[in-house]
This record gives sequence, C-alpha cells and structure tokens, in this order.
Amino acid sequence: MKKIQINNLLVAVALILSLGACKKEFVDVSPKGQFLTANYYADATQAYGGLVGVYDAIRKNSGGFENMITMMNAGSDDHFAGGGGATDGAGIQAFSNHTLTALNVPGSFWSDHYQGIFRANTLLQKLPTTTMDATLKARFAAESKALRALYYFNLVRMFKNIPLITEPVSAASMYKVKQTTSDSVYAQIEKDLNEAIATLPTTVSVTTEAGRFTKGAAKALLGKVLLFENKGALAAAQLADVNGATPGSASSYGYKLLSNFSDLWVTNNKFNSESILEVGHSSAGNSDWGWWGSGRDEGNTVNVMVGPRSYSTPAGSPAPGLPSGWSFNVFTQNFYDAIKGDPRFAATVFDLKALKAAGQADYIDGYQNTGYFLNKFLPRNADIRTGGGSQELNFKQDTYVIRLADTYLMEAEALGGTGARAQALLDAVRARVGLASTPVSLAAIKAERRLELAGEGHRFFDLVRWNEAAAKLASRGFVAGRDEIFPIPYSELQGTLLVQNPKYN
Amino acid sequence: MKDKATGTALSDATVSITGSATRTKTNAQGEFTIKVAQKGAVLSISYIGMKTVTYTVNNAGPVSIELESSSTTLEDVVVNVGYGTQKKSVVTGSISRVSAKDLANIPNGRVEQSLQGRVAGVTIAQNSGQPGTPSTILIRGVTTFGGGNNPLWVVDGIVVDAGGIGYLNQSDIESIEVLKDATSAAIYGTRAATGVIMVTTKKGKAGALTVNYNGFYGSSSPAKMLHLLNATQYATLLNERSVAGGGNVLFNNVGSLGLGTDWQKAIFNNDARRYSHEVSLSGGNDKSTFYLSFGTQDQQGIVATEISNFTKQNIRLNATHKISKVFTLGQTLGYTHAKSIGIGNTNSEFGGPLSSAINLDPITKLVITDPLVAAGAPYSVNPVIRDANGNPYGISTIVGQEMTNPLAYIQTRLGQYNWSDDMIGNAFLEANITNDIKFKSTIGGKLAFWGYQGFTPVNFLSATNSLLKNNYTKSNNNTLNWNVENTITYNKKVNDHSFSVLLGQGAYMENNGGGSSVAMLDLPINSYKDASFNFDISQANRTSGTYDFTQHKLTSLFGRVNYNYQEKYLFTGIYRRDGSSRFGANNKFGMFPSFSAGWVANKEGFWKQNSIVNTLKVRGGYGVVGNDAIRDFGYLSTVAGGLNYTMGNAGVITTGYAPTTLDNPDLRWEETTQANFGFDAQILNDFSLTVDLFNKKTTGILRPIAIPGYVGVTSAPVANVADMENKGVEVELGYRKRIGEFNFSANGNFAYLKNQVTYVASDTRFINGDAAFQSMGPVTRTEVGQSYNSFYGFQSAGIFQNAAEIANNKNGAGGLIQPTAKPGDFRWVDTDGDGSITDKDKTYLGSSLPKYTFGLTLNADYKGFDVMVFAQGAAGNKIFQGLRRLDIGTANWQTRALSRWTGDGTSTTYPRLTSADDNGNFGKMSDFYLEDGNYLRLKVVQIGYTLPVKMLKKIGGTKLRVYATGENLLTLTNYTGYDPEIGGGVFGIDKGVYPQAKSFILGIQLQF
Repeated sequence: MKKIQINNLLVAVALILSLGACKKEFVDVSPKGQFLTANYYADATQAYGGLVGVYDAIRKNSGGFENMITMMNAGSDDHFAGGGGATDGAGIQAFSNHTLTALNVPGSFWSDHYQGIFRANTLLQKLPTTTMDATLKARFAAESKALRALYYFNLVRMFKNIPLITEPVSAASMYKVKQTTSDSVYAQIEKDLNEAIATLPTTVSVTTEAGRFTKGAAKALLGKVLLFENKGALAAAQLADVNGATPGSASSYGYKLLSNFSDLWVTNNKFNSESILEVGHSSAGNSDWGWWGSGRDEGNTVNVMVGPRSYSTPAGSPAPGLPSGWSFNVFTQNFYDAIKGDPRFAATVFDLKALKAAGQADYIDGYQNTGYFLNKFLPRNADIRTGGGSQELNFKQDTYVIRLADTYLMEAEALGGTGARAQALLDAVRARVGLASTPVSLAAIKAERRLELAGEGHRFFDLVRWNEAAAKLASRGFVAGRDEIFPIPYSELQGTLLVQNPKYN
Repeated sequence: MKDKATGTALSDATVSITGSATRTKTNAQGEFTIKVAQKGAVLSISYIGMKTVTYTVNNAGPVSIELESSSTTLEDVVVNVGYGTQKKSVVTGSISRVSAKDLANIPNGRVEQSLQGRVAGVTIAQNSGQPGTPSTILIRGVTTFGGGNNPLWVVDGIVVDAGGIGYLNQSDIESIEVLKDATSAAIYGTRAATGVIMVTTKKGKAGALTVNYNGFYGSSSPAKMLHLLNATQYATLLNERSVAGGGNVLFNNVGSLGLGTDWQKAIFNNDARRYSHEVSLSGGNDKSTFYLSFGTQDQQGIVATEISNFTKQNIRLNATHKISKVFTLGQTLGYTHAKSIGIGNTNSEFGGPLSSAINLDPITKLVITDPLVAAGAPYSVNPVIRDANGNPYGISTIVGQEMTNPLAYIQTRLGQYNWSDDMIGNAFLEANITNDIKFKSTIGGKLAFWGYQGFTPVNFLSATNSLLKNNYTKSNNNTLNWNVENTITYNKKVNDHSFSVLLGQGAYMENNGGGSSVAMLDLPINSYKDASFNFDISQANRTSGTYDFTQHKLTSLFGRVNYNYQEKYLFTGIYRRDGSSRFGANNKFGMFPSFSAGWVANKEGFWKQNSIVNTLKVRGGYGVVGNDAIRDFGYLSTVAGGLNYTMGNAGVITTGYAPTTLDNPDLRWEETTQANFGFDAQILNDFSLTVDLFNKKTTGILRPIAIPGYVGVTSAPVANVADMENKGVEVELGYRKRIGEFNFSANGNFAYLKNQVTYVASDTRFINGDAAFQSMGPVTRTEVGQSYNSFYGFQSAGIFQNAAEIANNKNGAGGLIQPTAKPGDFRWVDTDGDGSITDKDKTYLGSSLPKYTFGLTLNADYKGFDVMVFAQGAAGNKIFQGLRRLDIGTANWQTRALSRWTGDGTSTTYPRLTSADDNGNFGKMSDFYLEDGNYLRLKVVQIGYTLPVKMLKKIGGTKLRVYATGENLLTLTNYTGYDPEIGGGVFGIDKGVYPQAKSFILGIQLQF
C-alpha cells in the first residue's frame, strides 16, 4: 500500500516536471510588426524606409512645440516669446529673455537633431550591404550626408561645442564620447555636402519626391555654411551657382523669385520656384496630443503657436476669419516701426491691434502682447483639418529652410556687400516687392534681410554672424560671450565626458 | 442555538455533518434544520469567536445546543494561501483577510473599494469619482518605478489583469486575502512583488436551497463645491491684475456684473440616482453543489450626468461535483457586461467639464438669450451648440484655449460610451489519489471584449475647439488569456509532526489578441440618435486601424513545504521558478525563494494561562519576489516605423524606419526582497492584535536609462538601474464584546510607511517625475534619499511687504537676491546660497505618498437592530493643487484669492496679482501649490433592522432586513480642492479630479 502511494507520488511529480520542461520555447515571443535591427536595411524598400526616417528629423524646423522657427524668432529682437504667460514654454521664454540654463534649455533641440544624425549614420553604415541598384544607393547615401550636414549645421550654430559622431554609438561606448571643436564639425559638414553635391540629382519629381535633397539645395546649404564660416569667396561661388547668372531670372536649377511676395505664404503653393529647401507638412497624419512633435506628427505647429488667442470677428467685419492659436512670436514695436511702410508689411504682420481698435476683430491678450502677429504663418480657416486628430496639430503649411531671396541676399553679403553683382542681387529682392534700387552695402543687405526674411527663424543667427547680437539684444538681457550659443542640456552632462559651454556653469 | 454565557440566539452558525459535505446555517433566531442519514451522525457546530462543539444525533426532533466563547478566534479561520488553505493559527506570513460578512451591504461600485481602509498596509485611492472607475492600489507602498505597481489579482486561482477586475460582483465574494509579504506572496513568484490579492467567490453548500436577494436604491450629490469668485469679485481682481502688469482697466463698472454665471452649478447633479439588484441561489446535495447569481446595477455620476453613467449586468455559476470517491470536478464561470459613459477629460488642465467649470469666467452667460448677441459672431457664423430652445450656449471671449462651455461640451459627447464583455472562468479536476495525496489540474481563462462607440457632431465650442466634419467611431478589442496549472499536495501527520508539500507547474498566456477601430466621417446626419454605420460613406471619409497585442507568456514551477510540530513550531518554505517572454535569452528565468517560521508561545508547557495575554504567535520570514511588468522586447533593438515624413506636394505621408533603441541582452529580473516580522495575539479575552514590521527592498528596478541625447535613439533602453526600499509598521486591532443581547465589535487598522529611493545609476542624478503641470514641466522628482516622486520646486519664505524688504534681501556679495521682485512677490529661499534665485534653488517639498493610512469599523447590534460605522483616512502626504490653469491669466480664482496681497501687511501667503508675473509667484512650481493631504472620511454609516422570523412565515422567508446607508457623509480635511483622495500613477495630483459623491441609500435584504 505504502509503495503504491509513493509510486503515485513519483509519477505525479515526474508529470509536473516534464510539463514544465517542455515549455521552454513557450516563453520565446518574437517581435511582430517591427524588425530586428540586425536584419533590417536588406533591400531598396527597407533602405528607403530608413532614408525617410532620416528626413523625418527635418520637421524640427516647424513641427512640435519646440521647433526651430518659433524658438529662434523668440530670441531675436524682432519678436517676443509671447504665449499664454511668463512660464508658457519655459525654454522659449528663457531664450527670449536670454536666461537659458542647462536645466531649462529644451533638450529636444539637441537630441532631435542627433536622432536624425543617428539614423543617417545607421543608414550609411548599412547601405554597403544592401541589395539594391547602385545609382539609387549612391543617391540615398548622398541624401543621408546632406541631411546629416544640415543637422550638424543647426547643432553647431546652436550649441557650438558638440560631439561629432559619424557612426552609430554602441551602448558600451556611449559614455565615452567627447566634444570636438566647431572647426572640425564644419569640416565634416563641408565634406558631407561636397560628397552629396557630386551625386544628388538636379531635379526631382514634384508630385512624389519634392522635399528631397537636390544638387541645388545642397549647394545653397553649403553656401550658407561657408558664409557662417566667414569664407566669403567660397560661399559666393556656391551661391552664385544656385542664384544663376541673372538675378531675377530663372537659374540653371530652375529657381526664380515668385512675382508676388504674399504667394510665398499660400499653403497650397508648395515647392514653388523660389523654394530651395522646404519642410513638408500634412494634415493626413491625424496628429494628436499623444504623439505631438514625435516622428508620426506631420503637422505644422508654428501655425497654431503664432495664432491669436480666442480670435473672433463681428458680423460684417472685413477682417479675415481665423482659427485661434496660442499667441507666440508676436512682433516687437521696434520691428513694427521698421516694416510699417514696406510693401511686405501686410504679408508679414497681422495688425490685430489696429483691427481691434477699429472694432473689427477681438481676441484675448497673450503674454507680452503687442497685437502684431506673424502673418506669414497664421493658421487659416481653409487649413483646418477635415480628417481626424486634433485641430491645433494638423495644419499643413510647409516652411522654407532656404528660399531664393535668402540665397540672393547671402551671396550679396558673401561678396562683401559691394559690386555690381551684389547690387543686382539686392535690387532683384527689392524689385519683386516693387521697391526701388538702393545703393548696395552690408548695412543695406542687413536691413533687407530683416524685412524680407522676418519671422522665418533667421534673425538671431544673422545677428550672431554679424556680431551685432550683443548690441541689438542688450535690452533683452543678452550677455556677450555667453548667449550667442545655448547651454548644453543638463541631461547630456550626466555621466558623460561633455563640458558645459562658457559662462553657463 | 444559543450563547451559553448570555443566552442570545446565534445566527449564521455553521452546522455540518461530520464526514459529509452537508451543511447549513442557523437563521436569525438561531434555529436550524438538518437531515441526517442515520442515527449516530455527528454534527459539528462552529461559530466565529466560539468553541466548536459536536453533537451526536440520536433522535429526530428539536435539540438545543449552547456554544461557549472561545479564547482564540484564530483557530477557526481558514485562509487561502495560494494553491491551498491553511488554518490562520499556523500561518507564518503576513496575510490579511476580508470576509463576505465584512462586505455585506456596502454599496461599493468595485471590488477594490471593498478593501479600502480594511487592511493595514494597503493604500487605496480612487482615481476618479466617475462611476465604475478603478482605484489605485499599493500594497506596502510603491514597489517599482513607473507603472507596474498594481498588485496581482487572482480570482479562484485565475490571474486577472488589474484593469479587468471590475467584472466582479461584490455579493459573489466569499473572501479576499491579501498576501502582503514576500514569504507568502512568493508562491506567485514573478508577479508577486507588488503583493497578491486573492479573491474567492462563493460556492454552493449541500443542503436546502438558499435564495438571497439584496437590492438598494439611492441618490448621490456632490460632497463639496468649490468657492469660486462671482462676476463682480472676478472683474475686480482681473482689473487689479491687469493694472499691476501695466495694462488697462478691463471692466469699468464691476458692480453691474452681479453674481454672474455659476458654472459648477450647471454641471453638478444633486440627485444622481443609483440602484443595484442581486439575486443568488445556492444549494446542492452530497454529490453536487452550485451557486448561481445574477446582478444588475446602474449608477449615475454627479458631474454632467448626461455623459456620466455606469451600468453592469452579471451572471455567475459556480459548481462542484463529486464524480467518485477519488475525483471531484468543479468550475467557476462569471460573465459581466458593463457600459460606461464618461465625461472625457478629467483631472486635466486641458479642459473637460470640471476644469472648464473651475476656470471659465463668471461673466460669460451660460446660454445666450439676447437675440442681438446671438445674431452676431461667433454665434451667427459657426456651427455652435444650442439648447432645447434654440439659444446658443455662451462662448467665453475672456477665457479661451481648451476651456469651453461645459453644457455645450456635453451635447457633443451624448451617446458615446465604452463597453466591455468579460467571461472569466475555470474548470478543475481534483483527484484524491490517497488520503494524503491530492492532485489538482486547473485550466482557467478570460475571454474579454471591449471597445468604444460614439458619434461626435459638427460643432464649434470655441475658436480653438471646433469640428468641421462629424464622425462616428467604433473600436473592438478582444483577448483570450488562459492559464493551466497542475499541483500535487501531500499532507501527512506523523505523531506530532505535521507536514504538507505542494509541487506545481503552470503556464500563462496574456495579451493574446488584438483590436481594430473604424471611423466614418461626414455622415449626413446631425444627431447621435441617427448615427449608423450603414450610411453609404465614400472611402475617402473612412479610416480604420487594426493592431495585434504582443503576447506575454510565463512558464513556472513552484513548490511549498509547510511543517509544524504540535502546531507550536511552524515553518514554511517556498520556491518558484518563472520564465517570462519579456526577458532576453541571458536571463529568461528567475528564481524566487522564501522561508518563514513561527512560534506559538501559548502552546508551550511553561506558558501560564492568564487573562492578559491569552494567545501569542510570533512569526518572521524573508523572501524574494519578482516583477516582469515591463515593456515587451526591452532587451532587443528593433527597427520600428512611425518616423514618417511628407514627401511630394500632395501631402502624402511615407513611413520612415529606424532602430528605436540600443539593445540590452542582459536585462534581468527586478527583485524585491522582503523581511517581515510580526505577532498575532489575543489580549484581555476580547482584543485581537496583529502587528507586522517589514522592510521591503527592490533592487535592479527596471527603468529606462537616461542615455545621452547624442546617441540619437528615440526611446531609452531599459536597464536594471535603481533601488528603493519601503519600511513600515502595520497594526490591526480588533475588539468584540457581547453584553446580553447587545453585540459590539470594533476593528481598527493603522499603517506607517516610509519610502526611500536608495540608488539611481550614474547616468543621472535624479529622474524627473511622472507628473507635470503644463508649462511648469515636471512637479515631482525621484532622487536618492527622497521618497519616490517627491514634489520638487521652489520654497517660499513669505511675501515681500515693501520695497525695503526687497532691498534688504542681500547676498554675501552685497547684491540683491531678487533684484526684479516687487512688493507682494514671494521671497524665495536661496537654498544653494549662490546669492541669486535660479533653478538650482529648487528643493524637495514633500511626498506625494501618504505616510499613514488608517481605518476603523464599528459594528453593534441589539435585538433586530444593527449599526455599522466605517471611517478611513490617510495622512502625511502633500497634494498638488493645480485647479487654476497656468497660461490663462484670466481664469477664475477660488475665493481664497480675495485674501491676496494688496499692500503692506495684507497677506503673507497669497502673492499680489499681476499679469506680468516676473517673479514666478504663480508660474514657478513652489510650495504655494502644495497642501496637506490629510483626511479622515466617514465612509459608510449603516443602520439596519431585521424583522422577526415569525413575521416572515407567511412568505416562507428566513430573513428580511431593511437598511439605510449614508456614504461619504463627512470628510475632515484642510484641503481646498474637491476631494483629498486622489489616486493615479502619481498620487495627489489635482487638476480638477472628479470628486466622490455623497450618497443616501435604502436597501433590502431577503433570504429564503
């Protein structure tokens, strides 16, 4: 009897153990709907997916709350941060009154660009073993390099002392990375762009490929980079190629100023002849708050940010109907006074102060309100999304990283602001808006840049390049030798070998 | 049946026939009837608090039995210890038990609330007063970072996800056991780090058919309204704020504005109804027993009742069949259908009815009745929402952004609801191979379906909130989770040595399913009542999404040894080995051992019986448990899509791919070790006392590591890089007294808990908290030496009363510490002493976790009358009071703003109002936003009357009780928001939490 009991027990125990043992594979679950990094980038389709991922980071220009345009505007003398209150967007407010610290600087300006660089590095590392057409492969590599150059150019202008990373960093070595000199970063940018220019196509299909890097776009970027490096002659050479022999006429790449300045800000007028490097936005992503500013967000956030708060118009008012926004980037009185008589005034400034005074529109004051809103990027009723997602996050206006009027003025500046060519370039920009010629000089070019490119995120970098930031921004708390660049974000200094920028400790 | 000492009739005493499954209970008069097969059958009569007696039946007919008070209450109680039961008297771990009796007639919406305030060391806070919302439960504090702090729910042996536990019907619960320490929870190894809650549902009993009905009907109203400014006060303060900031006077004749609109009144309901009906049948014979129940409940919310409602219907069948001498077959099966209508955004600074009602200006009209205004913009040109009379709901031109007229908002959400169908059950086969060896095989499953359906009409709530195309959306999700467990138990008693061995094996599958959603846009209708998916909508106006869930699988082996010598020296050892699909090949399996021992001192020969300490058991143990509640594939680097870009001029989006993170193949189990020491004692005959001390350490907490941004990955890899400990004391004290026909009992519990983070890796000095408030950013932070998610911000030291105080506030170098401050601004503490106020001056301002939790239940009955009072509370925590929207300067204020600083000596706590808040009085996270979260709540007061049985004879009933209940009648707190009880991922974050209701309920209980 006893024996039987024990046998039974042993059988049961053996049964349990065997049931357990045969289940080892049971707990192996492999990921579905995504790929293992080791296997990806195998063919042209996957490589293209990787390339789109590299492009994704360019939306930093105007997508997400922390975007280049509203941030760089806020730090210039043309705009205030604005918004709902003194703490609405701690980072943008701090840049606007030049009180950035390692803790309040929005880290995404650093990390989002490095995300683009990481994706470019990964693609460039994987491409040699990808099975695909060699020409296409070379083009993908060229585009990756051009984008990597753009991201490094933004980083080096914002943070100056940055790590130069040209292949993916492993977990083992990620805390051993060091900063390098800005000169070597610029050298890498030039190298990447020169290699890209050799391979990039001259034109791309507007319907399916517009927005991808072309030879002209890479040259324009290289010209701009060289100008920031103070290499005037080299910059002028690159930009001359982009601008064409006769300012005002189409260049060999097909670039030509739009005849009507305000057409630049018409949402449907994407990839027009003046556009050289443009960031694409769409309402088709049905963007929502949960992933605002991330890779899936395809909306333009500048639009809603610069709109007036709780805007309304009485019946019969001639004022346009507009969806409301958050009141960021209002123009300063100083800028208003500068542009008041200019033909570009109406397209640039939405003078809500005047409309309200005339009883033709009403709105709620934001922080630092002047009543002068950034008309180039105001949200439009026609652009309100008709699909899903949140209204605020699905505006679809594209933004320019570089447009022809910009390269005209940059070339004129690179030429030292003298000579017939410089004069012709300046005249072409003025003539387009019906302004008479004015004698070319660096001062004249600077004044023209301010009015022509107002609100497009260039002014702060221009002031720094011209060494005028300290003077123009003194009243905003700018400290020379510190505020030309951002502090390195706090999180980048933890456990790493990175060193904070001067005067930020 | 009577109490020997008092002669009182004893109801609900259990009478069973020894050696048979037949049992019955005494009725309210202490009477019982039982049918025995033959003469000489032995009846066993037991009653909690009384000594169990046996009675040999020699003749049919009435018998009279008297019970004696037992010196120990522990003897009779049997507790579920996971895969088996144990007498409470020999349990060596820390297990708390709540039985059906304690829960009867308490109108809890969900099972979690049954535990609130009843078990020491279990912190429970409701996330929302929305009917049907789950609560947050922490057993012995926060165990790990991020999510994954939910305890493991095991219902009749089936692991049920915490979110899905709402399917349970309270009347169906026989008992709830909470395994608090690692020594008892280790039997559930992997997922036991956060504690285990085991629910046992009622089973049928052999004997006469018992039918129970319990129903109640009640009305709820808000327990508290906020005191907000009226229109005149509001305009006055707004003028003052504007002028102080250099602006104009905004309202010239403030007195003419009167009281204005009371937005709160517009959304709160003082008579929200609720009802519940539950019927159960149980019975059986020697071979089969069953328990069958039905229930239905409906509860309206007190906020925006049109869009706040919860209904639930459920059915349960539990049955057990003795097939032969050896085999027993059983099954439990519950099905629940629930439908929940929610108000949308709650506890959010970004709109929703509550936040809007708090923040909207009292000047804007609720409804525009002036035809001239209605004919103008924005009402004339936009699809505004109108009331039944066709008048548009008012749209504020003063407070904008997400704050919208709540009545209009309600109209846009009518008919939207979430639904769920849950079928949860198991079947088991038990084989008594010999008298000592029992084999049990269980298969359990949860088939769940849930989703959303709703129509949103074209609307214009404000210039920032409008919808141009209506949409009709439907989503469906389903999972089939299952588990298989086989256990074998060997029980043996050799002389004075008793031992029991358990061996088991289990396999578990979760998240096995997927879902889909469809939306149709631009339906040719305007009302939700007409919405249908049958409309012929063009493909361009249809969107859909489909997704699979990632399976989560576990495989386990476990064993337990219990040993005792004369029930005097006790020992328990547990070992569990789990493999989880969430870990990489290097660390797929985790081992979780535990052991505990106990000593029953009063069974020693040298123990002298005394009337001070009647019984005493000392116990202690140590164990290791795990946690795999982390994201899937944390150990792998995968390439995922979603890094999209718009190529071409047609707005077409192309999907982009990149590696999401770096891989970490060494990802291992997070381990929670816990040492527990405690004792159970019976004191002065009437008191029972249980005290536990514990030290719980979690090591290798799985958290995303803060990798440098220059690495360039979008999501941080997870790694085992933090430690945390929870130390605490738990006391449960019971008292029971019977004086004549008067019975009284009191049960109190109290717990103290100290949470401290002991290690975070060198990648970061701190971890930003999970709670943020708009542009302030994170308001909590986690750092070594502090409690998890402590509030972090600036510390104020009063208000500058005049310019001289600012001028005298100098640093060591003679410069002003706050050069831009003005009288009426906060004086910030320069904590780092660098002579200026910077972000480095932020400091820890208090914990979001309650340090103390407590509960008290009083029961008394006399003849047919009974009274129950239940109170619970928490203390030692801070609440972030963020009811006023930060970036809307024109938002309304609570009346405490009337005592703001307006000149020298006017206030030392509430700063001046100004639109240019350069000092960050309101913009900075500071102690200004923090309030004490201490509260004591009179949760339930119930008075009942049980009719004498004679009066029921006619209808054949055995019990009829009527009762009246008051719920949340009183809350003692200094907190200025609606409700100090605020659960969620981070406790105590109030941005307009849906408050709990005060209810009055009438109920009836009937038994046949």
